[in-house]
Amino acid sequence: MREEIQRIQQAMEREGYVTDRAVATAVHLSMTLGKPLLVEGHPGVGKTEIAKVLATVQQGDLIRLQCYEGLDATTALYEWNYPKQLLHIRLQQDGDRSVAAREADIFSERFLLKRPLLAAITHQGRPPVLLIDEVDRADEEFEAFLLEVLSDFQVTIPEVGTVRAAARPSVVLTSNRARDLSDALRRRCLYLWIDYPSLEKELRIVRTRIPGIDERLAREVTAFIHSLRRMKLAKVPGVAESLDWAQALLALHATHLDEELVRETLGCFLKDEEDLRTVSARLDAGELAALSSP
Amino acid sequence: MSSPSADLVEHTARFCRRLRAQGLPLGPGDTLDATRALGSVDLLDREDVRLALRTALLKRLEDSPLFDALFESFWGGSVPVPRNPPVIPPDVEKERESRAAASQRKRSVESWQELEELAVPAPSSREALGREDFESFGDEELRAVTALARRIARRLSARPGRRWKLSRRGEQVSLRRTLREALKTGGELSALTYRRRKLRRTRLVILADVSGSMDLYARLLLQFLYALQNAFARVETFVFATRLSRVTEELRTSGYREALGHLSERVQDWSGGTRIGESLSTFVESWPRLVDRRTVVVVLSDGWETGDPEVLGEALALLHRRAGRLVWLNPLLGSPGYEPLTRGMQTALPHLDVFAPANDLASLEQLARHLSL
Repeated sequence: MREEIQRIQQAMEREGYVTDRAVATAVHLSMTLGKPLLVEGHPGVGKTEIAKVLATVQQGDLIRLQCYEGLDATTALYEWNYPKQLLHIRLQQDGDRSVAAREADIFSERFLLKRPLLAAITHQGRPPVLLIDEVDRADEEFEAFLLEVLSDFQVTIPEVGTVRAAARPSVVLTSNRARDLSDALRRRCLYLWIDYPSLEKELRIVRTRIPGIDERLAREVTAFIHSLRRMKLAKVPGVAESLDWAQALLALHATHLDEELVRETLGCFLKDEEDLRTVSARLDAGELAALSSP
Repeated sequence: MSSPSADLVEHTARFCRRLRAQGLPLGPGDTLDATRALGSVDLLDREDVRLALRTALLKRLEDSPLFDALFESFWGGSVPVPRNPPVIPPDVEKERESRAAASQRKRSVESWQELEELAVPAPSSREALGREDFESFGDEELRAVTALARRIARRLSARPGRRWKLSRRGEQVSLRRTLREALKTGGELSALTYRRRKLRRTRLVILADVSGSMDLYARLLLQFLYALQNAFARVETFVFATRLSRVTEELRTSGYREALGHLSERVQDWSGGTRIGESLSTFVESWPRLVDRRTVVVVLSDGWETGDPEVLGEALALLHRRAGRLVWLNPLLGSPGYEPLTRGMQTALPHLDVFAPANDLASLEQLARHLSL
């Protein structure tokens, strides 16, 4: 393994992010090739974490753009600061300046609210990490707009002019595959698929993130969650759910799973009524032991 | 980053060509990326090489098995490629590559023609249906289908969404415009400009059966799917017989003939048996977040299931729970005397919101009613 990749892996582990070679290699390549990294995977497998850890490793700021349906340029790129503009107009109204000059005043950089994309482009100092989270939730039009920004890291604001990034930010995009992303966007990025972790890896994650946890409990929790992933559930629990559950059990001073405890805490990792019924039925059938052993 | 040797560049380029021949969407830029990626890992470490190439060249999860298999065969392994063309040793591969690809294309086109020949119906079934059925389809009908698809698309787009546009009257004041106007009056906000929400559109997922028993209807349905895909941005189309393939991109390509060409290249099990349940499960597992409350899922199939009906039941139950609406269109339902007695249909019925015919234009026209949520 290349030394740099090893170092990234170690750095990530230091930050409490249990990782593997595929992730470390992808991050390394994204850094050396200067290309955005598109991370796909099920919800709760730690896609977003990659950007956070990357920011820590690079000692840069993390700038996050959370995508949602209807996200548009005013929320992603910039917006004018209207109250400030209004105040300025009032203060200047007795002056003898022309309308054009006053317009130029209020539509200048001072009155600009920088949203994440512009903030990343105009960021001073160490290049930041730009996290474009759940890009699949934004619509196709926004994706096309994003593509433009990502290709040359410059934007044109009609009133101000073209703004170019001093240093290119590292970009991480995440997607839950709510819809398929365009080939154009995919082509622009390096690609990483994160699957659910293996039993051993997940156990390591639980131990790392919840230090006080009883060894037996950690084993049973991960094995139980792994059994659930093999069932056909509407909302399959991710690593985030394993951690939530383990945390809750720790707070209840549990050292191992018993039926009552599991029933009381089902809500930590099952987020769908039908799923609750399915799993309760398995517990009724006395399958706890089978489900919580690897 | 060390500069890679000419040999390595050559070898990587050949590997990229091979991937491209198998249908991965790679351009010259990707070859360059792959070479640069190899330059920044340990070349003596096979796993490093694999991961580097994978990160640079794989663009979507679906292509992962193909990539892995090709990597094994190309970079010194022994796992065979899981698709039709035989594994050709790297030294003679170069000359053969283009020829192999060409003949493969030809083969698929031939099978498409076969499909069209099969689509000629028996006279009796035509009489029984009484109306003009899908098989006698000309240019005029093609236009009619396109118009119909447009109408359906419009219906699907009629709900207020999240985005805004300026308007004379509306729900909210547009501050940017209003402020600009206020400059003329010294900051007095005398005339307000409004904005209102743009309309939000429903998403459509179509899962179409293209197996042997559907041949009779395949042409019209494909024309319909093609027209719909082009009239409406938020439709995802999949076809299946024994295996599920996503054909959204293929249908988007300009020109109906061209789209058909792409389709037959991509879909290799035209007119085979039917594994509806397995295909739907694949869909549910591989595209879990494609379906939500604002999605209408349409299954187009005659319900002749050759697989396990239980799998079908499970997949449909899941889809029914997640989707805004689950519609099953069965071409056979249009013929008098048909009753959905096949095991597949019997399993499916309890999970459906709408079960409707799809054998002619009139029935597709009706479809519009079911598609807006």
